[in-house]
Amino acid sequence: MSGDIRLRREFIATSLLLLVLALLPLAMRDVYWLGVLVVSAYFAILASSWNLLAGFTGQFSLAPAAFAMIGAYGAALSAAYYNVPPLIGLLIGTVSAGLIGLVLGRIVMRLRGPYLALTTLSFAEIVRLVASNSINITRGDLGLPLEPWFNDRVIWFYVFLSALTFVICGLYLLLRSQAGLFLEAIRDDEIAAARSGVRIVFWKTAAFAISSAAAGFAGALYAYFASLVTPELGLVQQTGLVVSMTVIGGMGSLIGPVVGAFLVYVTSEWLRDVGGWQLVIFAALVIVFARLFRAGLWGLVITALAPRRKLA
Amino acid sequence: MTSLLSVQGVTKRFGGLVAVADVTFDIAPGELVGLIGPNGSGKTTLLNIMSGNLSGDEGTIRLDGEPCTGLKPQRLARRGLMRMFQLTRIFPRMNVLDNLLVSGRALGLAADEAKVRANGLLEELQIAHVRHLDAGQLSGGQMKLLEFGCCFMRTPRLALLDEPFAAIHPTMKEIMSRFIRARHAEGQAFVLVSHDMPVIVELCPRSICMNAGRVLSDGKTSDVLTAPAVIDAYLGGAAA
Amino acid sequence: MLSGALAADLAVNGLVTGLFYGLMAIGLALIFGVLRIVNFAHGEFYMVGAYAYTIIAARLGVPLFVALPSAFLFGAALGWVVERTLMRPLYANIGSWGLMRDEYAVIVTFGLSLLLVNLVDKAIGPYAFRAPALVSASRVVVGPALMSGQKVAAAVVTLAALALIALFLRFSYWGRAVRAVSQNRLGASLAGIDATAVSSLVFALAGGLAALAGALLSPIINASPDVGAFPAIKSYVIVVLGGMGSIPGAFVASLLLGLVESFGAVLVSYQYRDTFGLVLLILFLLFRPQGLFGERGREV
Repeated sequence: MSGDIRLRREFIATSLLLLVLALLPLAMRDVYWLGVLVVSAYFAILASSWNLLAGFTGQFSLAPAAFAMIGAYGAALSAAYYNVPPLIGLLIGTVSAGLIGLVLGRIVMRLRGPYLALTTLSFAEIVRLVASNSINITRGDLGLPLEPWFNDRVIWFYVFLSALTFVICGLYLLLRSQAGLFLEAIRDDEIAAARSGVRIVFWKTAAFAISSAAAGFAGALYAYFASLVTPELGLVQQTGLVVSMTVIGGMGSLIGPVVGAFLVYVTSEWLRDVGGWQLVIFAALVIVFARLFRAGLWGLVITALAPRRKLA
Repeated sequence: MTSLLSVQGVTKRFGGLVAVADVTFDIAPGELVGLIGPNGSGKTTLLNIMSGNLSGDEGTIRLDGEPCTGLKPQRLARRGLMRMFQLTRIFPRMNVLDNLLVSGRALGLAADEAKVRANGLLEELQIAHVRHLDAGQLSGGQMKLLEFGCCFMRTPRLALLDEPFAAIHPTMKEIMSRFIRARHAEGQAFVLVSHDMPVIVELCPRSICMNAGRVLSDGKTSDVLTAPAVIDAYLGGAAA
Repeated sequence: MLSGALAADLAVNGLVTGLFYGLMAIGLALIFGVLRIVNFAHGEFYMVGAYAYTIIAARLGVPLFVALPSAFLFGAALGWVVERTLMRPLYANIGSWGLMRDEYAVIVTFGLSLLLVNLVDKAIGPYAFRAPALVSASRVVVGPALMSGQKVAAAVVTLAALALIALFLRFSYWGRAVRAVSQNRLGASLAGIDATAVSSLVFALAGGLAALAGALLSPIINASPDVGAFPAIKSYVIVVLGGMGSIPGAFVASLLLGLVESFGAVLVSYQYRDTFGLVLLILFLLFRPQGLFGERGREV
């Protein structure tokens, strides 16, 4: 199976999934569950952006939640101090996360594996600690309030769904261009990629910046939805959720993080009544999937659907 | 200046060990040069410096008359210097076709052109039947052929091949040496590192023999292989 | 400027904190040395130790000299199980992997951390609870400084444990085996050392030491599901400063970090005191990945 065809199949499957989601409000207009779906879409964007970095480029960053937080503060601070309208705030959040990602990505270029994980984790913690301790500017753990953009949950649902669709389409276009080839080549063997003429510094930094910008975009959008931004957005546990969703759904596929995000978040809200063991279950699932089914749920689906071919 | 690659006084030290000592030679366009020498004589280190994977301590390297000392591997690749590694380096989680396309696209071929070229190479190297397998699933010999193919996605100015024939099946060796002979006949230049003397004798009109980081002998392969210093080096250095 | 008395007080407090950090960080360094991975669930070993001690000592009313070793054993058993069940694929041929080795290690230990935090949160409860005191003395004078009795007692036990570990690594067969595998896994296996058993041993030791740290500090810092996050981050910093995988390096770096934080909080900024170490970590990984004392490792 060529990479091209694989990617197209994943894109079609993701589009179908998004279409089904788009039809949901016809049957269900419960405010609480619409909110759950909004948060799921937020995580789906985060997980997809992290997957670009970890699944396709092999850069295992532990800072996706920090970039969402940067995006959220970008929007909230510019709204609080300069009164900018939401669309501009969104842009500011996205661009500031993207720029910081560009710089960080360039700096950590040479680091791999545990070294990269430790550096990005430290970065994430520093950003969060600064946000939570710079009380004069950010009001610390109290959080910065924001004027809500609008209040109708159905509208919010469609806003987030469009944002997710936009991000997925962007990723699809990026990955099916030559960039997709180069990123995967870098993930598999950086030295071989360099031998083949791939501009390592450029593509790795670009992947980091794009991924961070997408995370910042999700964070900024979420800030307007929640109308409050706190340092909690950047907690390592949030990154843990993003990693879990991606691993359960299927790392390195376009659809995996989306499936993972909706599945994990929606079921965990569902199971809340059963006593809150959902996080235990999902953490256990992450370990089981990483240990036994490395392609995630999507990989299981593909294996189940694949025609049994005779060995050549 | 008619030389394709010019290596001038290249030296590399690792701590107290001089791995490459003041090496100088020229390669003319279209030449096929064998690089031989006992284990640890500095062949791979020299190749690493030439391909930009390692920076030398002294000396200069010119490609087509332009200085290219210390350039990054990806820059050198785009200037036509392709390197095949001794320990096979491919992209294990990408399929065979995509492995080739990476080289093609990164070196500036258009998508269609790269595909045509890749399919041609797959046929020629007789690995077309596995083109949709992930490269990590191939046999060791098939991986070598694939990496070999990656070097020819865009006709290189100079191909540096480090032990391409080590530990592979004779039929695959035959495929590769036929390929090398055919391209050489069309004017392709190569540097071929190998321990396989019969192959060197058969393929390379000229050879360079290294020992302890120095060039011992450089000239017609038959002369190099019969030079007393070379025989000494291989038999265990009685020259002292 | 600092007065002499304050400086002495800061120094003693910093060094004692550094000792506790050492207990955590040495296990992490051992694991990195032998397996070349960072255990992102290290803080949870600490947390488990804190709970084990609190429950055993408080609920069962067992004396201190039984409860502390029990906490160590509990952490060691957990570490051993984790290595046996989750770390084995790290030694297998990785060519066929969907996930590469480093990524697998990060995901699995990260997942384990989430699992243990949430498991304890559900099974025991999210609230913090206080462990029984180690000693009854509330204040002790240590040289120029006045310290809490708990801290002093914990520091004494920590020193003893660190000395035991040092003797073990230096003189016992298994200690030498650990050092041999850290230096060259393949070479050690060829010399007849069971590298797999060494990996299990190292995980058990690391788990035990972290749990002991948790137990010793539980009278000062109450046990709660996320109590391990903070000491874990400190030990990442230390392992990087000391040179990834170096045991003496980790020990010296622990003391240094303790001092840096204790003086930095007064001299530089109290507000941002927790970021100093993290900034150091990033700077070291970028500019001096071999740590304070180490030599740069050969690549390939």
